[in-house]
Amino acid sequence: MSTAQATRDKPPVVVPGSGNNIIINPNQRLNPLLECIRNVGKQFGEIVPDFQVGRTTCVLYLSLKYHRLHPEYIHARIEKLGHAFNLRILLIMCDVSEHQDPIRELTKTCLINNITIIVAWSLDEAGHYLSTFKQFEHKPPDLIKERAEKDYDSVLRAALTSINKVNKTDVETLRTSVGLTTLCPNGTQSFADIARTPSDQLLALPGFGQVKVRRIKDALERPFKNKA
Amino acid sequence: MDNLLPFQASILKEIHDPATSELIVLARGLGLRRILCTLMKIYDSPRSLVLLVNASPEEESAIGELLGIMGCRNPGLRIVGYEMGKRDRQDLYRKGGLISVTSRILVVDMLQSDIPTELITGIVMVHGEKVTNLSLEAFIVRLYREKNTSGFLKAFSDQPEHITSGMSPLRSIMKEMQLRKVHIYPRYHEEIKENLDQRRPDLIELATDLTEPMKDIHSAIVQCMITTLAELKRSHSTLDLDDVNIDNAHFRWFDAIVRRQLDPVWHKVGPKTKQLVGDLATLRRLLSYLVTYDALAFHAYLETLVLSNTTNASGNARQNQSPWMLTDAANIIFKTAKRRCYVLTSKHTLASQPEVIDVDDEDAWAALDEAEGFTPQIGTTNGRGTEPKRPRWLPDGIDPVLEELPKWTVLADILQEIEEEIIRQETLTNFKPPTIGSNTVLIMTSSARSAELISEFLSDMDASAPRGRMGKKMMERKLRRYLWWKGRLAADKRGSSSLENTSSQPQGRKQDNGSGQVSEALARKDKSKADRSANRRRLRGGAPTVAPTRTEATRTGTTGTGDDADTIAAFMATQTGTADADAGADIDQDLLMAQMLSQLDTEYDDVFGLVAPEQTVLVRTYADDGDEQVLAELQPRFFIMYEPSTDFLRQIEVYRNSNPGLGVRAYIMTYHNSTEEQKYLTAQRREKEAFERLIRERGSMLLPIYESRQPVGKGHAMIKTISSRAAGGRTELSTAPSQVIVDMREFRSTLPSLLHAAGQLVVPATLTVGDYILTPDICVERKSIPDLVQSFNSGRLYTQCELMSVHYKQPILLIEFEENKSFSLEAISETTKTYAKPSGKYPTKKPAAGASSAAADAGDPRVGPTIQSKLVLLTLHFPRVRIIWSSSPFATADIFADLKMNLPEPDPSKAILVGAEDQGASGSQGGQGDGVNAAAEELLQCLPGINAKNVQYVMGRVGSVRELCDMDRKDVQTLLGVEPGNACYDFMHRGERKKKAVS
Repeated sequence: MSTAQATRDKPPVVVPGSGNNIIINPNQRLNPLLECIRNVGKQFGEIVPDFQVGRTTCVLYLSLKYHRLHPEYIHARIEKLGHAFNLRILLIMCDVSEHQDPIRELTKTCLINNITIIVAWSLDEAGHYLSTFKQFEHKPPDLIKERAEKDYDSVLRAALTSINKVNKTDVETLRTSVGLTTLCPNGTQSFADIARTPSDQLLALPGFGQVKVRRIKDALERPFKNKA
Repeated sequence: MDNLLPFQASILKEIHDPATSELIVLARGLGLRRILCTLMKIYDSPRSLVLLVNASPEEESAIGELLGIMGCRNPGLRIVGYEMGKRDRQDLYRKGGLISVTSRILVVDMLQSDIPTELITGIVMVHGEKVTNLSLEAFIVRLYREKNTSGFLKAFSDQPEHITSGMSPLRSIMKEMQLRKVHIYPRYHEEIKENLDQRRPDLIELATDLTEPMKDIHSAIVQCMITTLAELKRSHSTLDLDDVNIDNAHFRWFDAIVRRQLDPVWHKVGPKTKQLVGDLATLRRLLSYLVTYDALAFHAYLETLVLSNTTNASGNARQNQSPWMLTDAANIIFKTAKRRCYVLTSKHTLASQPEVIDVDDEDAWAALDEAEGFTPQIGTTNGRGTEPKRPRWLPDGIDPVLEELPKWTVLADILQEIEEEIIRQETLTNFKPPTIGSNTVLIMTSSARSAELISEFLSDMDASAPRGRMGKKMMERKLRRYLWWKGRLAADKRGSSSLENTSSQPQGRKQDNGSGQVSEALARKDKSKADRSANRRRLRGGAPTVAPTRTEATRTGTTGTGDDADTIAAFMATQTGTADADAGADIDQDLLMAQMLSQLDTEYDDVFGLVAPEQTVLVRTYADDGDEQVLAELQPRFFIMYEPSTDFLRQIEVYRNSNPGLGVRAYIMTYHNSTEEQKYLTAQRREKEAFERLIRERGSMLLPIYESRQPVGKGHAMIKTISSRAAGGRTELSTAPSQVIVDMREFRSTLPSLLHAAGQLVVPATLTVGDYILTPDICVERKSIPDLVQSFNSGRLYTQCELMSVHYKQPILLIEFEENKSFSLEAISETTKTYAKPSGKYPTKKPAAGASSAAADAGDPRVGPTIQSKLVLLTLHFPRVRIIWSSSPFATADIFADLKMNLPEPDPSKAILVGAEDQGASGSQGGQGDGVNAAAEELLQCLPGINAKNVQYVMGRVGSVRELCDMDRKDVQTLLGVEPGNACYDFMHRGERKKKAVS
């Protein structure tokens, strides 16, 4: 990981940060991780961090096994990094079973140095992280934002299964049977209908016991807050 | 009321001393509640403060009631729930007496010193077996012992089976409760045995055989379980599943065992394995439903299962179905279950009629009649004549079989016998009316469902009918309801395909036609047609308007083998409007009637004319300790245990011995060679083994000595915080102890307890932003793995990170794995595939993403983004958010302590205000809003239009979810804003338009 000093004297091959390739520090040349970076271009370049995956994003890579042998290595690297880059990632490869202490210690260090930790458990996963960082460089956050429109069934399912003990089958039962037990059989099984169904009718549904019904009723009918 | 049996009295004598603390393990059914209440009554006084901890709401009220009966009612047991305000609670604690508190509230009150911990006289804790080092109760004990060493702690447990975890389970429980003494009372305890064997109740065990179809289903389910298990073992050859064999299948926690075995690698197992484990649970449930549900309900449940299994969240066909559903055995299950309800005949298949089993002649004749061209007679409304005609509502091609549960017949026999016995006793020459005991017959069942079923059966029973047909009337009613349900289900299924296409429309037209690719013009035409027939349609309960044309296709297509759902739906649709409306009204009446029937006693005289009104039959469910009171009140002499239960049997023994002059007879009904029998026997064996283990452990236990813990803030732990700003290099102790501000809602998790154990001062508060505040700058949002997946999907995490970034310098996302489970995200990438968003959105996005050279995702684009990808996206958009990876809550506590080192302490009053100012009404409540209905809040956040930002506001304005449902569109809009309000309202009231039209 700290090899390949030969390229040191040569002029930089590219202007770092432009283009669509991940720029790799030549000292990572022998890292098997490189094989696992897929779907994205790779090139070597004279950079301070190990990987540069975006104009303002850099990654330091650390295997915990290596860390165990050379605990000072990562501190030197972090120091060298200085204050460059906006998003600084420490990609930790968790390949030891005694991970608790090193991770705790690294968490503290990274917090002080404004570095975000990502833990990977396999080379594939680590490679996936690196390529995703590059691919998502300009991606809008829609994927993780609240979506305005969603189809009715899945929202209903998500809402009802948020109640402890209620599973998908129960949602199906509620959806199809509640209208049947209310006194207006032509009514349908809207969310409001379900909310209005009294407990004894819920109890009559297949798969519904007292505990489940109580949970449902607790969620739907008991007040949000105390009146204090 | 203090008529305790000698052994109960001597237990009480052992434990009543308020100076000692101990754990009492008692076998179930021996009157634990009575002992508990007598004990609490002894302590009841305004000058003492005794807390009841860890009782469920039902237990709380039942214990309160029993205490009231015992004469302890001024003021008796007070119950503290989250509805009670902080001030009221403080008042209540100060006044003393017996108080039952929810653990979560008690922890918070102890931490905030709302309760004078040092003045607590003692704590009575039930369900002692559930206390672990992670549970809130252990936290309570720690807080209690910190300030109060003189008070007592009496822990009770009646479930020795649960004290099994770890090397020395008993010791670890006692360690958590800081107890040194344990009393163990199994049923075979000498004194108990001596007491109870004096007078034995008259026991009659009746084993009933399952019917042939039930046997078939039973063995098929077991077959499915074997297959599933084999599959599981094959995919996890490394796993030690040897002791998981099918013999254990009858055992209650079978799937839980498998689950526990898989836990350490749970995140690595694929969705297929998860499905298999889930299937095991489903199959086990089916086994028990087979003997408790009536044939129709069982069949209906199976159908729901299939339906929810074949379609995924978006209504498309699901990729990986449960493997057992595709086996031959499953086919037997479905086929036989259906055949227990009805058989499909049609003109073509009628020749093969004889293969139908168990159809009585009348039905066969009716079918024949029909085959020869008879139309069902409209005149006989209910088909209730002496010569049963086909009921008018019955669709063509369906012959009811309506197999009854064999126990019903036996039950009728027993009742007959009891009746004769009563008469015999009364006609004895030297008969004098019994001074105690009534002729009430108490029928005990294991679930409310079967209780209701039995009462329905008994009220409608036709005693003169041949065996096995006694409940025909009831079954026919059920069949009718079932068919109606079925029709709607099918209609719904057909409608759902069209829903997919229209879901983008705000109004979400449910009344759309079956085919999605109807052109615009056609759709308009159909709509006008639909409007014209609106009158008819609304009577028809949502059957699609195009049904008649499709009917022909389905009719010809399904000759007995096809999807009968369609057939029935089609039938329902082809019914003329009037007849259907009629049926609807009839069903209404049926429902009303069913409700009335629950008031059994009034109906009873008709059936049992010979029995005087006060000598009634009562159907109840087993209610553990609650049964005791029922027995005392009713004083019955005859018991029928519809399902065997050791606990209740013991209760009868106790009851028999506390009422010396009373002759008691108990009938126990079981199905021969069924799960029920197995379960009963296994339960008995397990309890015995558990007690033996406990007694052995007690004999060899090393008793821990508990050092009294220094209250936090005085020990050396606080020297952590050293101010370096003092002049002259002089170090000075900061006066504030090391503290962490914790959101109220987080007290459901184990972390606060562990933080406290690690020497932090835990300050509960209602936080708008973040879960834990470590320093004035560091704010932590905790996410367990399922939480993480869920809040990525819902977008809640994005909002939370947004809020944290705005208000704190160092926002932190804590990803917390579970102790003993694998510390790895790897498999999550696999599981998220099942959580993948419905295709609706993704394809439209993809070309754009592809154009900008960044392929949408590394993997297969249809799979959807993995959790890792989402994490990447999150860090890219919030470069300031740090991530803590913690392998367990214990590790988290360490990391927190580490992070806090040398940094100033947070200020609770400031933390509460953060982010609260823009919440409007709820902000003013911030300080004391600890009473939040967490389940309701979670549900609320799932609704469209409501997000992490406005949820507090909504909760401040609206009482409950129910209330929100009752609001009209305008109000919802003013609450949430026009767009989100619309979305929310449409969601809640989707598909209700028809009802509006009717009313």
